[in-house]
Amino acid sequence: MALPGLLFEQAPPVSVPLRFLLTAPWFAVLAAGLLLWAGPDGLGSRWTPALLGVTHLLTLGFMAMVMLGALFQILPVVGGVPVPHPRIVAAIVHPALTLGALSLASGLALGLHWAIRAALALLAAAFLVFLASAGRSLLRGNLRDPALRTIGLALIGLLLTTSLGAVLASAFGWSFAPPLIRITALHAAWGLLGWTLLLVAGVAQQVVPMFQATPPYPRWLARGFAPTLLAMLLAWSAAKWLTLELLAAALALPILAAAATFALVTLWVQLRSRRPRQDPTARFWRFGMLCLLAASIVGASAQLQRWSDHPALPLMLGVLGIVGFALSVISGMLYKIVPFLLWLKLQRRLGGRPPHIKQILPDRHARLQLWLHTAATLTLLAAGIGQNGLIYPGAALLSGSALTLGVSLLAAWRRSAHAVRDSQPHRAPAQSGRRAWRELKP
Amino acid sequence: MADEVMVDVRWLEPPEPFERVVNALETLPRDAALRVLIHREPHPLYRWLAREGYQYRTRFDPGGWFEIRISR
Repeated sequence: MALPGLLFEQAPPVSVPLRFLLTAPWFAVLAAGLLLWAGPDGLGSRWTPALLGVTHLLTLGFMAMVMLGALFQILPVVGGVPVPHPRIVAAIVHPALTLGALSLASGLALGLHWAIRAALALLAAAFLVFLASAGRSLLRGNLRDPALRTIGLALIGLLLTTSLGAVLASAFGWSFAPPLIRITALHAAWGLLGWTLLLVAGVAQQVVPMFQATPPYPRWLARGFAPTLLAMLLAWSAAKWLTLELLAAALALPILAAAATFALVTLWVQLRSRRPRQDPTARFWRFGMLCLLAASIVGASAQLQRWSDHPALPLMLGVLGIVGFALSVISGMLYKIVPFLLWLKLQRRLGGRPPHIKQILPDRHARLQLWLHTAATLTLLAAGIGQNGLIYPGAALLSGSALTLGVSLLAAWRRSAHAVRDSQPHRAPAQSGRRAWRELKP
Repeated sequence: MADEVMVDVRWLEPPEPFERVVNALETLPRDAALRVLIHREPHPLYRWLAREGYQYRTRFDPGGWFEIRISR
């Protein structure tokens, strides 16, 4: 089956997605720093202030930052449905999300009610503006396209996640008491499964075959995964809300089985790649899928063997789901998306002959981060299981991993900026731009 | 019939197909044509070809890829 082409004509200015993608790694650096500062006490339970701060630095500052930024590019290029007025929308969403994530994390970690209230306003602005704009453009698209429909359903997941998060933030900010534990369970499940996993599944249908030379995902998964997962999550949420715990536990099993199925199918298509040697992005995805599989098995085992109240369970699921799955997959993609966006920018500015993409961001940066990130995930997992002292090496490794990512992406951006700047005095772009690049390349 | 040069960029990662086709066109004799085998429809390449004054014709191969014939 031949793969459809992409529509770059409608893509926004490169600076729109790029500002989100270059900001994100520094939130992971902050999260690692907060973990180091908290030390073993931070792992006392899932509710410690430091861990709540770390979780939101990673989920909002890193994951949502990349996911929203990438959607500015993905919606027009994959679905032909550009976000309207992308410069204006990005100029509101990016600073609001950046400041909102910082306020929320510091408010949660330090118990600052005013910071949580400020975060609520900032994050509400960021997500409402983004969801209204992206939702409007999606409704104009061809929702029979499985990838676009999956992305649309992920945005419903984002709406529910952020609404539940707003209730929780209001409770912290104004000290009232809704059923916190139930709402938190729904907030986390919708954030990790209804938003993150669905968006990864929608994007994977495009980027895995494109960048990893695999066959397309099977039709049954491309079409059926998102509606099935969303329906099951809704049913589970209703059971959880009505405190029908046995029913909720029974419904959790097919949800975890669906997540495991997506992981297994991705590993299977990766095995059938037409490239004999996997590049770092493919390895990031493979590690991410193994972590998703492990998280599903751990979650199912906790339900079946009745240890779902064990305090280590949320820590294990958090490390496997956030650091192991989401951060791995997103880091792997950033090594493709960022140099590709920079290459597109250079191609537009310098004519048809920009520098080779591997000169913009060599693979060795990604290989280094892959090792650091794998080691960070495994060490933090051991720390969460009971070896709390391992939080120090785990956080140090996570910090090294995030720093490698942040510095690599910034270096790529600087190289492309130099190539553009040095080509500008000559108006014969193709050759002069390329020559300028050769002089600058490392 | 004019000479034909073939470039097989199937399963290469973007933007390498674009780069290889542009490189091949640079060294292509003026009366020759370039035959490109590619696994997805390259809309950005079409736009570039039109801007640079090339003509192209695309055919879907039942083997699961596209064959594009490019000439001046």
